[in-house]
Amino acid sequence: MKSKANEKTNKVSRRDFIKASAAVGMAALLPGKERLFAAGSDKIRVGLIGCGGQGTRDAISCVNSAPNVEIVAMGDLFQDRLDESLAKLSKEADDKVSITEDTCFVGFDAYKKVIACDVDMVLIVTPPHFHPEHVKAAIEAGKHVFMEKPATVDPAGVRSIIASSELAKQKGLSIVAGTQRRHQAHYLEIMKRIHNGDIGEIVGGQCYWNGGDMIGYWKYYEREGLSDMKWQCRNWPWFTWLSGDHIVEQHVHNLDVINWALRSHPEQVMGMGGREVRKEGNIFDHFAVEYEYPNGVRILGTCRQINGCHNRVEERIVGTKGVADGHGVITGQNAYKYEGKSPDPYVQEQADLIASIREGKPLNEGKNVAESTMAAIMGRMSAYTGRALKWDWAMNASKLDLSPPKYDFDIDFPARPVAVPGKTELI
Amino acid sequence: MKKKISKKSIASSRRDFLKSSAAVGMAAVLAGGKERLFAAGSDKLRVGLIGCGWRGTEAAENCVTAAPNVEVVAMGDLVPDQLDWSLAQLSRKVDDKVSVTEETSFVGFDAYKKVIACDVDIVILATPPHFRPIHLKAAVEAGKHVFMEKPVAVDPVGIRSIIASSELAQQQGLAIVAGTQRRHQAHYLEILKRIHNGDIGDIVSAQCYWNMGELWVKDRLPNWSDMEWQCRNWLYFTWLSGDHIVEQHVHNLDIINWAIGTHPVQAMGMGGREVRTGPEYGNIFDHFAVEYEYPNGVRILSMCRQTAGCHELVAERVAGTKGQLYTDGSTGFIEGQNPYKYEGESPNPYVQEHTDLIASIRDGKPLNEGRQVAESTMTAIMGRMSVYTGRALKWDWAMNASKLDLSPPKYEFGDLPVRPVSVPGKTELI
Repeated sequence: MKSKANEKTNKVSRRDFIKASAAVGMAALLPGKERLFAAGSDKIRVGLIGCGGQGTRDAISCVNSAPNVEIVAMGDLFQDRLDESLAKLSKEADDKVSITEDTCFVGFDAYKKVIACDVDMVLIVTPPHFHPEHVKAAIEAGKHVFMEKPATVDPAGVRSIIASSELAKQKGLSIVAGTQRRHQAHYLEIMKRIHNGDIGEIVGGQCYWNGGDMIGYWKYYEREGLSDMKWQCRNWPWFTWLSGDHIVEQHVHNLDVINWALRSHPEQVMGMGGREVRKEGNIFDHFAVEYEYPNGVRILGTCRQINGCHNRVEERIVGTKGVADGHGVITGQNAYKYEGKSPDPYVQEQADLIASIREGKPLNEGKNVAESTMAAIMGRMSAYTGRALKWDWAMNASKLDLSPPKYDFDIDFPARPVAVPGKTELI
Repeated sequence: MKKKISKKSIASSRRDFLKSSAAVGMAAVLAGGKERLFAAGSDKLRVGLIGCGWRGTEAAENCVTAAPNVEVVAMGDLVPDQLDWSLAQLSRKVDDKVSVTEETSFVGFDAYKKVIACDVDIVILATPPHFRPIHLKAAVEAGKHVFMEKPVAVDPVGIRSIIASSELAQQQGLAIVAGTQRRHQAHYLEILKRIHNGDIGDIVSAQCYWNMGELWVKDRLPNWSDMEWQCRNWLYFTWLSGDHIVEQHVHNLDIINWAIGTHPVQAMGMGGREVRTGPEYGNIFDHFAVEYEYPNGVRILSMCRQTAGCHELVAERVAGTKGQLYTDGSTGFIEGQNPYKYEGESPNPYVQEHTDLIASIRDGKPLNEGRQVAESTMTAIMGRMSVYTGRALKWDWAMNASKLDLSPPKYEFGDLPVRPVSVPGKTELI
């Protein structure tokens, strides 16, 4: 194992110190809090679960977002991914990484071992399928959580995320999600204005993630020499049980903005889509979904991953007095254009998380991101089956659970067939 | 060929009679360009049916029952069995209003010319949409009034032709009514009147849908050439039908254009051929979702699907600053500051469109729906072009610069390989 061997830090005494100093630093101890931090003064120890490109970037953003934050444990399914990640972290944030051989873990249970380390917070950046299990374990163990979007891939997972978020609330733990637009300056300003009534009543909207194919910027592993499970986990974006399909994995960002603007979630979903060009895995390459929100407000969500097509990634909210968009512009009666600073939102989300921990005012975005993820999952379910479906049914009655029979690289687990609208069952 | 033999009417004298009686019947002959005039209801209108499929036959029946003194006197189709079937239907249902003889029955690619050359006042153009531009041009040039089924073309070249013919019709005082029957349907007329009166304020968003199951398909017979098979199974070949976004969904897009009062400026769509993939389904797609951008940045969602076992919805919805409307084939209402629900009579719109056409002819005030249906058809064509290619495109480009012309090399039964299914991102935008 190639890992950076730093001197092991002395964990036990550090934890006690943080607790004591925090207690002193606050006027009073808030009930139910797992631990408190004096502002900026105490080190926050971070465990990274999921060492892919995004996980590594998140770790760098995290340690750069505030003073005294350190990566101290890492876990991934694959040794080579962990090694690459550690090499990159060592190169770009060396003084903020204290990883030893004893705090590096690989395999399906690596997350448990990271959580069992002396960490205050974990970054959960595994393929989306694993988030519910990982968030649950982290919250139960009393860790603050940064979780990448999407929150999960199926309704069973959404329910789990919501339960874990409620537990986090009770325990005073933070959960911040990788829907970084929620921490991006121009979005924050636009939303403030929308919620202030600047575009009047919202009556429509659109959001898009129409881009190119993943092939070309995302490594695709050939089948040969890999077991079913290993091949799928390596190629996780292309398998619905792992990524949720690109409507969930990517388009959730845009749907989250719509939910945010409307301060609600859709009540009904009707979509269509297909796999017109793509050959890999079992996901689709395009989706167009109509989301109906309370008061009959209908929103279009489209996403596509096909090369050579018209690309567009944006959100647009239409009100009775104007139109707001995700570029920070409002047209209409209260025209506005955001021209302020634009701090890196991937750093800002970590800064906000850490500040919330240090100030003892935990952020909890669990339900937000669970609901946005559910909107995306419903869009996928509608497009896969050709059926329309209601939020209440999906949330309470859907039995869809895409989990494999077990988490083991050696099981027989052939790729599931591609969905066929009109034939694939709505579960 | 089995034919009903009716007594041939005396054509040439009748035409002259119509002309003179109309002149007498009107306070004054309208100046310039009118081909002929009719005294209200008193003179017989002679109708030629071009395209004797199910819809054409029904349109002919609707036409002769729409007003007194209207008769089908000539028929044409590509193939004799279709013409026979149609004539049998008409004879069974409206026998006293059909005077078709062997001499006024024509088959083949040039049947339309022969129908038009008969002594007819109106022609019903109900062939597959590909042929509409050619047929309309011939009919208008020959001075015939026209009822033409939607859609009116399958490509931008065809649209330009339809618009030119419509302008010619206008100059000649000829009526053109299109089979976008919602324009003649009572609840649509009332709701749209209210929209244009400002009852939902400024339009800011809208949706329209034609999501349904599958339609008929004709299995290929061994003796059919490529061309004959494609023409008989025309729904499934883009060059003939325009694909279902054009062939069917044009109805809903026409409502959106009507409500907004104009056509879109840009289209961006996606879709595919996900389920209906067999060769019997030719080369069309089975689903489309298109965003149309209208002036002032108003964005509209349009969806159409032909896949069995899926959620079905055929309707339009328009949201304004003061309310929203919902319409479908049987109902219409407005919610918001000026709520309204249509509860009046609902005459059959497929008859009404002919009633309106005939009245306009007899009143000497010809309706001309050519441009409006050409624009709605173009809207649908742009959606298809965007989906087939994956590209976004602008109205002005499509209308003025697109060179897309889906015509086959020649019109005769013989070899005609099926064109490949489009591939978004690869199929060229022409």
